[in-house]
Order: sequence, then structure tokens, then C-alpha cells
Amino acid sequence: MGQANARPRRASARLLTDVARAVILTAVAVVVLAFFASGVLQLAIEVRAQENLALDTIFPSVSAVRGAWEAHRDRLLEEHIPETLWETLAGLAMATVLGVTIAALMDFSRVLRWLLYPLLVVSQTIPIFAIAILLILIFGFGSGPKITVVVLFCFFPVALNTFSGLQSADPELLSLLRAMGASARQVWTKARLPAAMPSFFAGLRIAATYSVVGAIFGEYITAQRGLGVFLKRSYSSFRLDQAYLAILLTAALSLLLVLLVNLVERLALRWYYTSRRASWRGPGIY
Amino acid sequence: MSAPAGTPCLEVRGISKTFRDGGQTVRALEDVSFAAWPGEFITIIGPSGSGKSTLFNVITGLAEPDAGEIVLACDVARDRAGRVGYMPQRDLLLPWRTVLNNVILGPELDGRSRREARRRARELLPLFGLDGFADAFPDALSGGMRQRAALLRTFLTDREVLLLDEPFGALDALTRRELQRWLLGVWERFRKTILFITHDVEEAVYLADRVLVFSARPGRIVKELRVDLPRPRQTISLLSEDLRRLEAELMIALEAASGGAR
Repeated sequence: MGQANARPRRASARLLTDVARAVILTAVAVVVLAFFASGVLQLAIEVRAQENLALDTIFPSVSAVRGAWEAHRDRLLEEHIPETLWETLAGLAMATVLGVTIAALMDFSRVLRWLLYPLLVVSQTIPIFAIAILLILIFGFGSGPKITVVVLFCFFPVALNTFSGLQSADPELLSLLRAMGASARQVWTKARLPAAMPSFFAGLRIAATYSVVGAIFGEYITAQRGLGVFLKRSYSSFRLDQAYLAILLTAALSLLLVLLVNLVERLALRWYYTSRRASWRGPGIY
Repeated sequence: MSAPAGTPCLEVRGISKTFRDGGQTVRALEDVSFAAWPGEFITIIGPSGSGKSTLFNVITGLAEPDAGEIVLACDVARDRAGRVGYMPQRDLLLPWRTVLNNVILGPELDGRSRREARRRARELLPLFGLDGFADAFPDALSGGMRQRAALLRTFLTDREVLLLDEPFGALDALTRRELQRWLLGVWERFRKTILFITHDVEEAVYLADRVLVFSARPGRIVKELRVDLPRPRQTISLLSEDLRRLEAELMIALEAASGGAR
């Protein structure tokens, strides 16, 4: 094992490498997509020349998507994106609180574990599509039901991962704390909760990727504002350039959220990322 | 100092303990009695599975004995949790805490001032060979440093009696010898009562005022060896005849205790 010199710098350097890797991967993805798109474009021109089909609407050019962005930028930035972002963040926050609470309850009592665990699993077998429609029928068109849909999408990974994290605490460590005279509450706050944090963040990361999709999904059913509505209107008016724009924005929003979770995790779990565990060269920031 | 005087600060009276392990009944301890006087260094040695760690679990209150009682500071201790300092075989440092925040765990659990505990811990870091590592995470430390950090955590609990369960068991011979010398220095400075489990005959004799030899399961005390070597012992020759004689005596007792199974 090495000495402990200059570890904080190594951590920040690692963060930098991750950012660099993210940029490179994105660049590669763009190049591959561009290559693919140009091929499709060639094909489209070919087919159109032969059969005179309006394939341009199905495979809109990059400039068409950019045109859609120019045309709708103000409404997107002022109405749709803030609405979706609000629903996403509020839903994710509530899902986190709910998930951690469920995990804590299951950790506290064996009876609650027996009661909650099946409910938890069953909640994931019900098609959220059906529940979403029901919710919107009951609660109307506001952002409330969409937030609920996001919560339904997101609480499960948080609850399950946090629970397994709480259960993973080293039993010998818990014994030591009890021998040192720690109360049950102290054992929880000083050992079990911190031990569960890496798992919690793993769950939160999954939830973050689900959350934007959840919000869009809720809005798609019915809403007045949001990227989901924008997407739906684009499809119904057969404006696929706008639809592609909405898809790109959704993906960007999801990616930003995951990056945010990773950043918070790096800062909160400095011990985890400076330890030997971090010598595992994983997929980094993704 | 090893002469029993005054009242013992820990008395183990007729402790027996049986537990079930996979459907089998294991008799871990049988009628174990001894007393530890203030400032005494007692080592406990015995074959594997002779209930030494079980004894520690009983003293710390992690387990209840089937028979017998533990007397701490002259009073029968029913609620024993937190009344003695305990260091298990693994250092069990909290990986999410820096060294400094790890070693103040005892005062923190007692609800004492953390700032005061940190100040005292900082003063002691050099003595425990952890100077400059206050803000390092445990994963960055070597095995010997981790054990010293765990020992500092145990000392900072400010308990009169410290139970150390094979603290140097996993270390290489050189580091182990170095830490034994160092531990004697620390012990002489703090004047704690130490119960120290070991598997190593040399270690048992070198450190102790008294050595308790446990038999194979069920664990009983089969021999008590008084080590009357002069202190301080940090400079004692490893080839000292007295040391060798005591080690030989202990080895014979230990062989008898394990029933000639080796």
C-alpha cells in the first residue's frame, strides 16, 4: 500500500481524466452518428430520386433540426424545458426521500421488511403507463401528476440499493460500536448510514437516468407545457425535425443530471474515491 | 508493579459460556475466574478455539455468560457495554473517516466534546507514529499504521481496562516486534490495565506481568505464569536466559493444554 501524499490532487486529476474521457467519447459518438447520418442522407436522396418519396420528413437534415431549434428556442427555453426540469428535479428529490425512507424502514424492522419488500416488487410490475393515465384523470393536467410519475419511476432503484447498502455494513464493525457503548441510533448514524452511501449513489444514478424519461412520459399523456407535450405536438403535426430536437434535448437533460449526481458523489464520497477501491478503472463518469 | 495490591479493577468470576453453532452445542468457556489489578499487563494464550475471544465478548457485554459474573470497579456489571476499551483482531477503522476522526470515536460516542477529543488526539498522533496522517483515510495507511490508529482509538476511550484481541496477529515479524516495544512504552506512560490475547509464546512472555494459559475447548485457565522480568523491557535481549526459560515453560504448558494434539 502506498503512502498518503498528495491524494486530494490525485482525486481531482481523476475527475479531470473523467471529463476528458467524456469529451472524447462524445466526440466519437458524434463522428459515428454523422457518418451514419450522411449514409442515410445519401440513401434518402437516392430513394427520393427514384420514387419521389418525401423521406426528408422522416430523416430530417441537421439544418432542419437546427431550424426547429431556432424557431422554437424561446418557448423551449422559457416554458417547455423549465417545466420538464422542475418536474424531473422535484420528482427525483421526492423519490430519493421516499426511497431512503422505505430502505430505512425495511432496515429497522424485520416485520416491515416482510411487508414492504413484496409491495416494492409488485409496484414495479404494474405498468406505469396505466397508472400515469389514472393519475392524470384523477389529479388533472398540472405538474403534480407528472411529478408522481417521476417518483414512481425513480424510487425503486433508490430504495433497493440503499437497503442493500444498509444491510452490507460489516457486522464486526457494528459489534465493535456496541462494545464501545454506542446506542442503536449511534450505530445507525455512525456506521450503517455511511456504509450505505456508495450503494445509495449507485441507485440515485439509475434514478437520475429514469427521471427525465418519466417526466416526458407523464407530459406525453397530457400537459400544457413541457418537452413531452412538445414531442407529442411535433408527432401529431408530423414535424419530425421538431421531434428529433425534443429527443436530443431529453438526452442532453438526462446526461446533465447523471453528471450532476456523479459530481455530488465524488465530493460526498471522497474517501471512497481516494481508496484502493478506486484503482478499479471503471467506465468513469458514466 | 505486578504485585497484587488494593482492589482489582476487573474480576472475572466463574464464567461459563455455551453457544450453538450450526446445530452443534459448543462449550466455549468453563468456570473461568481471574482478577486484573490496576496497571497490570495480562496476556492470554491458548490453542485456537479455546474461547479467548468469547471471553472478551462476555467482558465487553456483547455476549451474556451462562454462569458467573463480571465485576468492574468493585461492582457487578450487568450493563457492561462501553465500560472497557476493546480492540478486535481486525482494526475496523471506519473507511469514510480520516484517521483523526476515527481515533476520536470513543469520546464521540460518549457525547464528549469532539473539539477537545481532536486536540488530545493531535497531541498523541506523533507518539502513535501517525504524525502527518491526521487527515489521511485509513486505506492509505500501512498495516502497522492501521493497528496503531486502532490502538490510539482504544486508548482514547479513556477506559481503565483495555482488551486487545491479537492486535499484532496479522503483521510481519519485524513490524510486530517494533510494535511490541512501542506498546510497552505507551502502556508505561498511560498505566492502563491491559488484557492481551496472543498466539505467540514470545509475545506473551515479553509483554506480560502474568500469562494466563487457556486449554482447548472448553476453555479453562490451566496455568498462570508470573513473569518477573525487570521493566522497562524495551532493551531486554531476546537471548536473555530468563526470557528463554519462561518461554520454554509456557510452551510446555501450552502443549499440555492443547492435549498433545500437535
